[in-house]
Amino acid sequence: MLSIAKKVTGLLLSSFVINLWLVVGSTAAAADEKLDKAFEALKTYDWGTDRSVLKPIDEAIVASHKDTAAKKSLEMRLVAALKGNVSQAAKDFICRQLSLIGSAGCVPAVAELLTDEKLSHMARYALERIPDEEAVAALREALPKTTGKVKVGVINSLGVRRDAKSVEALKALLADQDAEIAAAAAASLGAIGTVESAKALTEFQAKAPEKLQLAAADACLVCAERLAAAGNKAEAMALYKLLAKSEIKHVKLAATRGMLALAGKKEKSEEKK
Amino acid sequence: MNHGSGNRLGKPAFPSRQSAMFQQTIRLGQAVSRRGFLASGLGTTAALGRTPYILTSTALGGQGKPSAGDRITIGLIGLGGHGIGHNLQGFLRQPDAQIVALCDPDRARIEEALKVCRQRLGETFTCLCTQDWREVIRRGDVDAVMISTPDHWHVPISVAAIRAGKDVICEKPTLTIAEGRVLADTVRRYGAVFQTSTEDRSIPVYIRMAELVRNGRIGRLQRIRVQLPAGPSQPGSAEPKPAPEGLDWDLWLGPAPWAPYREGLHMFHWRGKRDYSGGTLTDWGAHQLDTVQLANDTERTGPVEVEGTGRRHETGLYDVFYEFHLVYRYASGVELYVDSGGTGLRFEGTDGWVGNKGWCQPLEASDPKILQTPIGPNELHLEVGPGEHRNFLDCVKTRRDPYFPAEVGHRCSTIAHIGNIAMELGRRLRWNPNKEEFIDDPMANQMRCRAMRQPWTL
Repeated sequence: MLSIAKKVTGLLLSSFVINLWLVVGSTAAAADEKLDKAFEALKTYDWGTDRSVLKPIDEAIVASHKDTAAKKSLEMRLVAALKGNVSQAAKDFICRQLSLIGSAGCVPAVAELLTDEKLSHMARYALERIPDEEAVAALREALPKTTGKVKVGVINSLGVRRDAKSVEALKALLADQDAEIAAAAAASLGAIGTVESAKALTEFQAKAPEKLQLAAADACLVCAERLAAAGNKAEAMALYKLLAKSEIKHVKLAATRGMLALAGKKEKSEEKK
Repeated sequence: MNHGSGNRLGKPAFPSRQSAMFQQTIRLGQAVSRRGFLASGLGTTAALGRTPYILTSTALGGQGKPSAGDRITIGLIGLGGHGIGHNLQGFLRQPDAQIVALCDPDRARIEEALKVCRQRLGETFTCLCTQDWREVIRRGDVDAVMISTPDHWHVPISVAAIRAGKDVICEKPTLTIAEGRVLADTVRRYGAVFQTSTEDRSIPVYIRMAELVRNGRIGRLQRIRVQLPAGPSQPGSAEPKPAPEGLDWDLWLGPAPWAPYREGLHMFHWRGKRDYSGGTLTDWGAHQLDTVQLANDTERTGPVEVEGTGRRHETGLYDVFYEFHLVYRYASGVELYVDSGGTGLRFEGTDGWVGNKGWCQPLEASDPKILQTPIGPNELHLEVGPGEHRNFLDCVKTRRDPYFPAEVGHRCSTIAHIGNIAMELGRRLRWNPNKEEFIDDPMANQMRCRAMRQPWTL
């Protein structure tokens, strides 16, 4: 009797496992089918198109959390779509997705958009977030290939990524005839906040044209804070002392605040707060 | 479009603003404020040394109007319904505030604001009228700016204004966690006066609610329940349309990803689109969650865990969560429940509860005695503010922090942001409020910031 019971239990268990496998398998197959359809829809997607057609891609991206293989597969499919003849709206969508799951593997395809005035921003949207060094290298390499506002965007992204390898290139841009480029270069040098970028900013602060004085001063203040946070207090103090001589009142006050903070003191007005 | 050139509309109304002394300040090209310039005495020297200067009655003040040196000159940036109806009107009611600039990418809104100013100040009123906020920031005769733009412009304009030496009152909320951090750091760096512009800290019921909780009238705080309005109820049309005549669409978009104009965005309903806002969760959250943070004594920190679910329209234009149910946990063990549907607050403790149902509605409690209990001299007393505009002007003069400073506003917005991210990712997230980062979740951390469209940056 016991062996019959065991056999029945075994059969029931096997049947349950097989059914479960079939259900899971059919659900996965349905999800795959939906995802395939979404990638197909991406080929004709444009502004004003019903965006629900792309929802399976959104869901797959979220579900790929902690699943490296799924992430890689999605990344490659998105790259293939990006290389195709798709609309700006579709490329916008793809870059947003790659900003979440992208890796070094997608960087070459995304980097191609950096020089395109209409697509450069969304390329940076992805590259600023992709943690791999290749993403920063792509931004760095785009610097000499871009002009005007697109170049300003690339400079800004290098600042966000705090790319110390860009210091020399950014230093050269401080002398650019385009004030927007020079101001962006100063801001990014400040954000990078290394001893080398501080040196570049110190030189720039002394000779910056009037319309760039505020940008130079702000970059120095940011740089000083980053230096101090990294333990380079002497270099930070040197920047503050430089700015304390500024003729711009609120810059001078900010430098004084910085010096006090560095010395571990609070302003009287701060103590009251 | 006329983007980039300041077009003056109408006739001069304030001769003192156009004085020789004033123009001298601008010619120097330095970021010396009008008030600082007057206070330094240099103004007198410059005036005496260059051109004869006659002090006008407007400059001297009188009849309830403070003299020029005691007035704060304000540039208003963003002139939508709230920008005009609440903020412009709010400053027009302050005797020591002087409107010197009106700015909006939509020329029709500038005309509307100018009309409101003239109704109050006389038909001869004029000031700088421009579609480009950078012109306002550049002006030496602007002491402070009131920013009432869509959310994606709040921090970029605030930061630029502070760097130019202005004080700032800016509508809530921030757009991202990273932007909020930059804002709070910039305010601290320059010692600027920054007000996160909401009225809650001037509304007695919310202050009293927080005061009762902080003073232990409901025992030890255990749970907080918050209701925020749901919406938008309809998905809106995603069909691209030509931008209206007079609206500089590229400037309206600013740092946000480029997208064609859609009718359901300008004005107000941009809150339904994630590129420009976090929806009602961040909008109304900035009100009710501020009282939460104040009552919970966590103004400069935040929860350590969040999870929740929400619903978004799957078609159409709007893509924010129009319905949401979130649970947060603070390090103290206090739980915070945030649900869409109406407005309301309820603080539950070991000995009872206090709260209200509906915006500004009367205070209720588990026991009426809680409501009548006085706050003793040795207990914590929370002050009811005089309104966000009045409080800001007072703080500009005294150089003190306003009642809703940048750091506190940023922490408040962050609660809503991490809630949105948790719903987008559909999983429980652990949050480190000290480092302002999610624990063991790179994807969530990547969602704390967004690249800005060129040439905009922080």
